[in-house]
Amino acid sequence: MAAAIFLIPQDRFKKIILLLTSSGHLLATVSLWPMPRDIQFNSFLGFDALSQLILNLISILFFVVSIYLISYLKEKRRRSNRIFIGCLLCLLAAMTLVTMSRHMGLLWIAIAATTLLSAPLINYYRTPQSIEAAWKYLLISSLGIALGLLGTLFLAISAISIKTVFLGDILNNATVLSPSWLKLSIIFLLVGYGTKMGLAPMHTWKPDAYGEAPSPVGALMSGALTGCAFLAVFRVAQICFHAHLQRFVMPIFILLGILSLGISAVFILGQKDFKRMLGYSSVEHMGILVLGIGLGGGGIWASLFHMVNNAFAKGLIFLVSGNLNQIFRTKRIENIQGVIHRFPITGICLIIGFLVITGFPPFGIFYSELLILKEAIMTRQYMVVLFYLLFLSVIFFGYARIVLNMALGQPKEGHHHGIKEENFFMVMPLIILLLVLFFSGIFVPGPLYSLIDDASALLEGM
Amino acid sequence: MWLELALVLIILPGIIILGNNRLGTIIQLFALQSLVLSTIPLLIHPGIHAFVMAVATVILKVFLMPAMLFWAIRHVSIRREVQPLIGYGKTLILGGLLIGVAFLISSKLDLPDKEISNLLIPSAFSIVMIGFLLLVSRFKAITQVIGYLIMENGIFLFALLLLEKTPLLVEMGILLDIFVAVLVMGIIINHINQEFGSASTINLKNLKD
Repeated sequence: MAAAIFLIPQDRFKKIILLLTSSGHLLATVSLWPMPRDIQFNSFLGFDALSQLILNLISILFFVVSIYLISYLKEKRRRSNRIFIGCLLCLLAAMTLVTMSRHMGLLWIAIAATTLLSAPLINYYRTPQSIEAAWKYLLISSLGIALGLLGTLFLAISAISIKTVFLGDILNNATVLSPSWLKLSIIFLLVGYGTKMGLAPMHTWKPDAYGEAPSPVGALMSGALTGCAFLAVFRVAQICFHAHLQRFVMPIFILLGILSLGISAVFILGQKDFKRMLGYSSVEHMGILVLGIGLGGGGIWASLFHMVNNAFAKGLIFLVSGNLNQIFRTKRIENIQGVIHRFPITGICLIIGFLVITGFPPFGIFYSELLILKEAIMTRQYMVVLFYLLFLSVIFFGYARIVLNMALGQPKEGHHHGIKEENFFMVMPLIILLLVLFFSGIFVPGPLYSLIDDASALLEGM
Repeated sequence: MWLELALVLIILPGIIILGNNRLGTIIQLFALQSLVLSTIPLLIHPGIHAFVMAVATVILKVFLMPAMLFWAIRHVSIRREVQPLIGYGKTLILGGLLIGVAFLISSKLDLPDKEISNLLIPSAFSIVMIGFLLLVSRFKAITQVIGYLIMENGIFLFALLLLEKTPLLVEMGILLDIFVAVLVMGIIINHINQEFGSASTINLKNLKD
């Protein structure tokens, strides 16, 4: 399907194909709903509860983004979008492969492919800044991914007695793995996939890449792609838990989580660029995810629930930032003011997105952050509790200062270079995402609830 | 015996690359390293699987990737590294130290299975570290790419320990991924050159907080 994109010259047809593929993908994903959780196609490919959860995330986000792109690409007509849409579709295929792979080597291949396919997407505008962002992203991620490959090989060496790295075989025989090589492999795998996820010491590409990528790409990267990287980290945790290495790995997860929260809190406070701020916010939420896993118990459920809500909320707020970019032609925060007076729907979505992402009460993220807090108190890790609350409140303050002024302040006169009013395709995806957020956070339907239950049982059962 | 000789021949080009500033020579040395590397699967486990691996390595790493890198330096017309972050002498000394560290680490790790050669793991570690050093100490985008590739060569050596256990399909996928990585990097180097007038990553300093 994606190959056809490169052959078709007309931009209009390519958009139609994009839309068709994404809705086809969504339909295929939906058709998986009534099926059982564990499906094995062959020894390499298969689903379990977690991969179904993440596949749903990817599919819904991609569908929404493809609707959004209809008007967005019309706006940026300066160059042909052949490479852009081709890479986008290949990215969808690679992300689907990530969720389906049941072999650690295949998982690595798919994740490396997502890195390579998203680099041209970041470089869409070809400005000096976007080239710099793409180069940093490519180099840092490739380096991290190479370390991940090394970790995969160490895992295979530790599994030399069972002679495979199929996930099922490793999990069943985890106790016979050689412990010294396994520990080494876990460290390398965590550094590798943690780089891809954007955890704190390895996060440096994230604000640059998110800041310079076109907003729809940012929405996909912060929602779907981090989901894929989280899946890989979750697999590593699964292997550790099966090998009874909880005591070794949990402090690492907690440390990475707290570090990510701290760094993003520091940088969000003084931020002048809206999209870079979103990049740091993504670092923060990835930190919360691994913190939840590191605490174990109810933290794992909370972390999965958090991932779902974070993905849709990030999608929403990145698409809002795309609208703002089209309206104001700038990402500087001081030049964007009083959105709600002129563009009511974008403005309202901006405020709702802000409330969701900082964990304001009625929404899902509030609930999952509370659950993680509860888990930290229950396990008596009071230092973690202290830092967690401190950093979250600093981040809330930093966000509020920026977003409320953007949304509610007095609009400046004579600052309009962009489009004059919101059109259907700009608003429609936002409303879909609001609906999805409503169902994933406030009024959670039974099937989603049980899917998250099953996915967290993959770790909790230990 | 032949295996040990080949391993030494793999580490040597790595060390020479650390002390060299001519990009053309560096690429040739990388091709030489990959050529020696491709014979190792045949030396360890002769067979069809090893033969396919060797042929794929020769095609990709000895011909295609160096050809692409040569195309890139001709295209952006640069010949040598100008100002490395760490001087050549110091890089060489650091490289020597890292090789020592590699031997130290590998003496601590024990293989659960029988050993093929007790030089294999230390040399794989050394090459990974040399590649990493090259990647962080140079500014030219092309040298950074070569550093990445040398790291991958080291990882490939590790993979040879497991040659009988991993499916051929997975190995081919890994090689393909690396090839595409170099392709994408090559294209972006070209963009850097068009935009800044030189392919040096020193220019990339617009984005910071």
